[in-house]
Amino acid sequence: MVAVSGPLLAVAGYWALLSRCGGRARAAAAAYSSVPAVSSRGGKQKEASTRRTSRPSQLIRSHAPPRTERMAVDQDWSSVYPTAAAFKPASVPLPIRMGYPVKRGVPLPKEGNLELIKIPNFLHLTPPAIKKHCAALKDFCTEWPSALDSDEKCEQHFPIEVETVDYVSAGTSIRNPKARVVTLRVKLSNLNLDDHAKKKLIKLVGERYCKDTDMLTITTDRCPLRRQNYDYGIHLLTVLYHESWKTEMWESEKTEKDMEEYIWENSCSQKNALDTLLRIKASENASNVTKEELLASEVVKNYRNSVVALKNEGETENNMSQYKESVKKLLNIQALP
Amino acid sequence: MGRQCFLPNNDFMGVRLAGIHADTQERRTNPLVSISDEPETLYKRLSLLVKGHDKTVLDSYEYFAVLAAKELGISIEKVHRPPKKIERFTLLKSVHIYKKHRVQYEMRTHYICLELKHLTGSTAAVYLEYVQRNLPEGVAMEIKKTKIETIPEHIQKPVWDTLPEVEETQVKS
Repeated sequence: MVAVSGPLLAVAGYWALLSRCGGRARAAAAAYSSVPAVSSRGGKQKEASTRRTSRPSQLIRSHAPPRTERMAVDQDWSSVYPTAAAFKPASVPLPIRMGYPVKRGVPLPKEGNLELIKIPNFLHLTPPAIKKHCAALKDFCTEWPSALDSDEKCEQHFPIEVETVDYVSAGTSIRNPKARVVTLRVKLSNLNLDDHAKKKLIKLVGERYCKDTDMLTITTDRCPLRRQNYDYGIHLLTVLYHESWKTEMWESEKTEKDMEEYIWENSCSQKNALDTLLRIKASENASNVTKEELLASEVVKNYRNSVVALKNEGETENNMSQYKESVKKLLNIQALP
Repeated sequence: MGRQCFLPNNDFMGVRLAGIHADTQERRTNPLVSISDEPETLYKRLSLLVKGHDKTVLDSYEYFAVLAAKELGISIEKVHRPPKKIERFTLLKSVHIYKKHRVQYEMRTHYICLELKHLTGSTAAVYLEYVQRNLPEGVAMEIKKTKIETIPEHIQKPVWDTLPEVEETQVKS
């Protein structure tokens, strides 16, 4: 029994100790009857129950006045609450009430108010305390370079944007598996690419390229660590860049359907136009004009521009009217009355 | 984080190093500050999303974070409060049978989003550590950092120009 009493003391409290130590019963009884200042809650509870059975008032411990009565108005509050701590009603000189009131009553006072203790308080973060902390932390901060004051300048000198996310929360584990995701964003106009390389890169990359903002977005999360994902993202960018500059043998088999934009040279439209013009010239028995001369003439160039605009930009009022004018000039038709 | 060892553009070398030299006099008096030669990482935007169940706690925290940013000289782009999300579910009230009697619980999550811009690596580290250490109980935070970098050396020019000619192998389809 004696050997077990040590841990019992810590775990079960003084009630358990006094009740289980059978051998020491007489000593225990003597203890609680003569020495109330064992400084234990069990001791005080016993006092409360025995008070009803006419105990002398000398056994009731007098409470010291709360610290709030000795606080000056201009005291240094950051020394009362230097760090985050629970709400102590005797240390906070404010008449705070909290709780749901009874009918025609007021909320409960702060003494022994569990609601005030439960809620996180910011008593350690008053504005003067924050200013003090920041003054001490200011030495560790560096200034942003003043030449990079706008987004465009940042974009011009530092084109690559790397986005990472950190997660802070309370729980059994501080790790969050979403923290390893890394997103790289680059505008293709900032990379050293020529026409063929840019088109090949866009084809290689597929959905990750946005035409409206000219932005390539690479999101990596296949590696377990964030640094590894970042390295992999840079590696992908390097490989894409260098591969797009290469011209493979099978690229010469690119058909019209693979083209991203409409090219008038060697298209049906060009053939038809030249054919028609040659036939017109032949029927008029004019001097034989060669294809190159026809191609170089103004009317054919106008027609070419209007067709290219229509195919690439879609049908707008402007484009349609331009096409109409160019066809009229090409075939020498006057507007019908 | 992978720190790049190359030096920044020539236009900025003067600006950045000059900035550091001007402060070295004041920093030498503080023995805790150590200056390294690595170039600073630059964060274009730092977005803090704070989530909690109690709106008043989040409001107090927002006041603290905004004041801390102002004192440390960080420019705040905007502070906005996305709408709260309520997750509700319905459970049976009794342990056994009584299907018609249920009890409903809900969890309300309030959000506050703080967007800061133009921070250096050291400033961001200092501010984030200060703000995260004083995060109250029951409040979570997501920090989205957007770092800006120059194009690495190996992407400046295509490598095929410099490599020696290699015999092309047959492409097997």
